[in-house]
Amino acid sequence: MSTSAKTWLERIHALPIKNKLRIMNVCGGHERSITMAGLRGALPKQIELIPGPGCPVCVCPEEDVYQAIQLALHENIILVAFGDMLRVPVNVGKADIRSLEQAKASGADIRPIASPSEAVRIAREHPDRDVVFFAAGFETTTAPVAAMLAEGVPHNLALLLSGRLTWPAVSMLLNSDTPGFDCLIAPGHVSTVMGPEEWAFVVKDHGLPAAVAGFTSESLLAAMYSVLRQHLEQRPFLDNCYPEIVRPGGNTAAQRVMQQTLQVVDANWRGVGVIPASGYGLAPEYAHLDVRARFPDYTDTARKRAGQMPPGCDCAKVVLGKIYPNACRLYGRACTPRNPIGPCMVSDEGACRIWWSGGVRESTAAAIEV
Amino acid sequence: MCLAIPMQVRDIDGFLARCEAKGVSREVNLFLLQDETLQAGDFVMVHVGYAIQKMTEQEARSAWEVYDEMLEKLDPAHA
Ligand code: SF4
Repeated sequence: MSTSAKTWLERIHALPIKNKLRIMNVCGGHERSITMAGLRGALPKQIELIPGPGCPVCVCPEEDVYQAIQLALHENIILVAFGDMLRVPVNVGKADIRSLEQAKASGADIRPIASPSEAVRIAREHPDRDVVFFAAGFETTTAPVAAMLAEGVPHNLALLLSGRLTWPAVSMLLNSDTPGFDCLIAPGHVSTVMGPEEWAFVVKDHGLPAAVAGFTSESLLAAMYSVLRQHLEQRPFLDNCYPEIVRPGGNTAAQRVMQQTLQVVDANWRGVGVIPASGYGLAPEYAHLDVRARFPDYTDTARKRAGQMPPGCDCAKVVLGKIYPNACRLYGRACTPRNPIGPCMVSDEGACRIWWSGGVRESTAAAIEV
Repeated sequence: MCLAIPMQVRDIDGFLARCEAKGVSREVNLFLLQDETLQAGDFVMVHVGYAIQKMTEQEARSAWEVYDEMLEKLDPAHA
C-alpha cells in the first residue's frame, strides 16, 4: 500500500520549517491537482505553492495564433488545432477577428481536434484541399506530433509547429536574479517522455531540491515532502515520486522519433521573449511540411502590440510565477472564463483558469479603469 | 489538453490499438511504444491519442480515481 495523502500531510507538518519556502510547479496538470484537492490550504502556511511555466497555450506566440487566423481566413484551407487554441486572443483592432473561434464563426473552416491522428484523418478525407495543423504544446504533446510525422503524413497536410520545451524556461528563471522559488516539482508526463534526468540541472547547477511528481495528491505531497526535507537537510537530489511511469531515461523510442523528425531551436514565448533552445522546429527532411514553406507569411509584425499579451493582461508574469493569477487587476473582473482577456484564462492549463475553476473569484489587486 | 489518461488495450493492429477506459473505447496510436511488447489486457498512459508509457493495472486504477474526482469538481456538467 502506498502512503496516504493524510500521512504525507502529517509528515510535512512535522517538519521544522521556520522560514517561507516557495515550491514551484511547471505543469498545468499539477496546478490543477493542487488547486482541486485544496492542497494549498492543507499545508503549513510558510509553504507557498507557485504555478510556473506549465501552459503551452499561454506562451504560444501571438504571431503564430495571428498567422493561423489569417491563413484560415484568406487561404482555401482547413485549419485544425487542439481545442484549447481556438479562444486564444490576438491583439487587433476592436472590429477585427481576434481568435480562431471568431474566424470560424465568420465562415473559416477551422476544426478542433484532440489528437494528431485526427489531423491525418481529415487530410485524407479531403485530398483536394490543404490542411494546416497548428500544433502548440510541450514535449508530451510534441512527441505524438513527431510520431505522426514519422509514420508519414498525406501530401496536403502542413504544420504550423509551436512546440516548446519546458526545462529551458526553468533554466532561464534560475539564471535570472530573481528565480522566485526555492524548490521545484518537476513535471510528470514531460519526464515520462524525456526522462527525469532532464531536471538534474536544477540540483547540479543551482543546488535546489527537485522531485518529479505525478497527479495524485499522494504523489504531489510525496514530492513536496521530498523537496522540503532536501532543503532542510541541505542535501538536494533529484527525486522521482512518479515511478509508475517515469523511468530512468524516459521513453527512448519517443525521443528517437523526435530526434528524427524535429530539431531544437531558439523560440519565442508570448510576453516573455526568445528563450534559447526552447522550441521545436521541423528537421530539414520535413521542412517542406512547414506552413511557411507553402503559404504566404501573414504574421504582420508591424501590428500594434504584435507578439504581446493583451493590454492589461499579466499572463506573462503569471506564467513565470512572478505573481499569483488573482494578483492581476483584470482577474474575475473584466477577465473570466466566459470572457477571457488573456490565454491563461482560456487554456485548461492556464493558472488563471484553474484558480477560477477552483473557486477563487476575487482579484487581490486594486481595481483600475481599463 | 495535457490531461493524459490510463487506458486498457483491447486489441492491437500494427501500431493501432483499440483501448478502453471506463466503458469508453478509443483508437490509440502505439508508435511511441514501438520498443515495448504490448498485448491485449495491458494498460497504457494515453496523451492526445498516443500511448506514451506502459503501466500496471493498479496504477491505472488509482489514476482513474483521481480523474473522476477532478472532473466532478471541475465541471458538474461532465459528471
Ligand atoms: S486574469 Fe486574465 S487578464 Fe489577468 S493575467 Fe489572467 S488571463 Fe491575463
